[in-house]
Amino acid sequence: MDLFLQLLTTGILVGSIYALVALGWTLIYKSSGVLNLAMGELTLIGAYVSLSFYTWGIPFPLALLGTLLVGFVLGLLTERLFLRRLIGESTLTVIMVTVGLSFFFRGIVAFVWGTDTRVFSPPVFPTESIRLGRIVIGQVYLWSFVAAILLLLIFVGFFKYTRWGLAMQATADDEMAALSLGVSAKRVYALAWAIAFMAAGVGGTLLGNINGLNISVGYLGLLVLPAVVLGGLNSVPGAIVGGILIGILQNFSGAYLSRLVPGSVKDIAPFAFMVIILLFRPYGLWGWVKIERV
Amino acid sequence: MYLPSAVYHERSRQDHAWWQTAFVRGKMVLLFLLLLVVIPATASVYLLSVANVIGYTILSAMGVQLLIGYCGQITLGHAAFIAVGAYVSAIAMLQYGTGYPLSLLLAAVAAGLWSVLFGLPSARVKGFYLIMTTMAAQFITVDFLITQYVSQIGGRGHYFSLPPGTITIGPWVIESDVQVYYLMVLLVTLCILGMANLLRTRIGRAWIAIRDNDVAAEAMGVNIVWYKLLAFFVAGALGGVAGAFWISSLFFVSPEHFQFGWSLWIVGVILIGGVGSLHGTVFGAMFITLLLEGLKFVVIPLSEVFPALSEKFLNVKEAAFGLAIVLFLLYEPKGLAYRWEQMKNYFNLWPFSY
Repeated sequence: MDLFLQLLTTGILVGSIYALVALGWTLIYKSSGVLNLAMGELTLIGAYVSLSFYTWGIPFPLALLGTLLVGFVLGLLTERLFLRRLIGESTLTVIMVTVGLSFFFRGIVAFVWGTDTRVFSPPVFPTESIRLGRIVIGQVYLWSFVAAILLLLIFVGFFKYTRWGLAMQATADDEMAALSLGVSAKRVYALAWAIAFMAAGVGGTLLGNINGLNISVGYLGLLVLPAVVLGGLNSVPGAIVGGILIGILQNFSGAYLSRLVPGSVKDIAPFAFMVIILLFRPYGLWGWVKIERV
Repeated sequence: MYLPSAVYHERSRQDHAWWQTAFVRGKMVLLFLLLLVVIPATASVYLLSVANVIGYTILSAMGVQLLIGYCGQITLGHAAFIAVGAYVSAIAMLQYGTGYPLSLLLAAVAAGLWSVLFGLPSARVKGFYLIMTTMAAQFITVDFLITQYVSQIGGRGHYFSLPPGTITIGPWVIESDVQVYYLMVLLVTLCILGMANLLRTRIGRAWIAIRDNDVAAEAMGVNIVWYKLLAFFVAGALGGVAGAFWISSLFFVSPEHFQFGWSLWIVGVILIGGVGSLHGTVFGAMFITLLLEGLKFVVIPLSEVFPALSEKFLNVKEAAFGLAIVLFLLYEPKGLAYRWEQMKNYFNLWPFSY
């Protein structure tokens, strides 16, 4: 039972980071219909940028702020240079442009920062862990959770109460109507990419704090896909819950399943789980039930 | 189809022939002379190995071309089936001592069946959801089953190496680069001819109908599920052949060669070459391989100024490939095959091109 609670807590804490990255993914999909396979590389870029800031001696909160700023600019640039021309193109074209971008970004990141594992030193968060009853939690996890939840709240507030957030919601809901009411779809797309870059950057920074940072953090960005499929592709609450559930699932399968089937079950379980969801409930938890029968 | 003036067909056989005029036949003879005589006689070992990589890329991309370009089923996990082919043929040769032709056949059948297994969801879902399923196929097959379990068979450690003399076709042993090259030319030729002929049969036309409009195809009496699964089988089998060829050119096999990146790579190859075109597969494979090899010659002189360029050449290559895909999709979305057609038309219609 202790183990169960322990796994559950850690799963939720890590899952909140996935939720943050998944939120960025869903935003792009919702507003512009782009299925983004470069999410992992966006996490990588953000993580390395904040690592660089931190190693230059900038305090961590400021480094994180700087990462947000860089992510914002990069997001706008990416959308303007590559994605804007693709509005209305076929799914394959759009997906493969994001795949091309992911190769490009990964190559650049590995070229600039190398492929060795780097850590935030000195450690950002205190290393001793906290005891809650019988559960032990590393402070890194706890602070990451706090940061992720804080950012999620900020983003949700942004969508609900600001002019731009409402414009994004309107575009996602009915693009034609939004356009006729004077919402600039181009700016909404640009903003979606900027927010995705920012969310992924923070997510990557937090993940890098937990395990150290190398190119395989980009693989964790791929875990976003099972999360958003589980949540339903175009649902923001779905992305958040999906991210947390995938975090929990990963921890459980790492502990329980790997006794039955040795090997790296932990990395595979989300994808296997995704196939099962796709077979029985392809629209996920809260996605629009608009599945095309074949 | 373009025919020069004063060429008339009298029989339907002539109308269906692949090479219809003396000019085209001459061109093909020259092509085969180049492939079978000139290149093996003159090329260095390095150039032969580049040619073998091109051949492997063509074989790998052929199945993807069939699924994406002719049947409209997007797949991002084809490296899984190539890996199945590679491992099945390696195990057949190492554990059971079969000859290369038999192991090739086994590899094709096993990879085809494995591909059908992951093609089954295509009966229920399409578009993005199918893409996710094929991605899952990649991770489940290569990163889990092959890395964790299949690699343990025979206790040879993480990768299987094939000792010299293991790869035999009847009495001949495949060991030198030239022999591998001839094997490559044979397999690529057979695959291209097979595909080209398959695509103009009932089966191929059914696939193209499904690609263009699946509802209309079903209304016309095409059994969609059956033909989709058949497409997955053939594509997987082509992948299996590619995998079996790859181990015969490297003499060892390791899960590292069949990562997710390779799946994406071969999709990029057909996009650059042209989706829905056999020419495109060949052009794309040649373009990408030669571009990245050519990059080497740019980087080596530069590396005296920027040593990082050659130390991290792999990453430079990755970034260049990514940029090439993006630029092609933005500026030449129909691929190289379309450009090739334009060029041919220009010369055919010259000097009155209107």
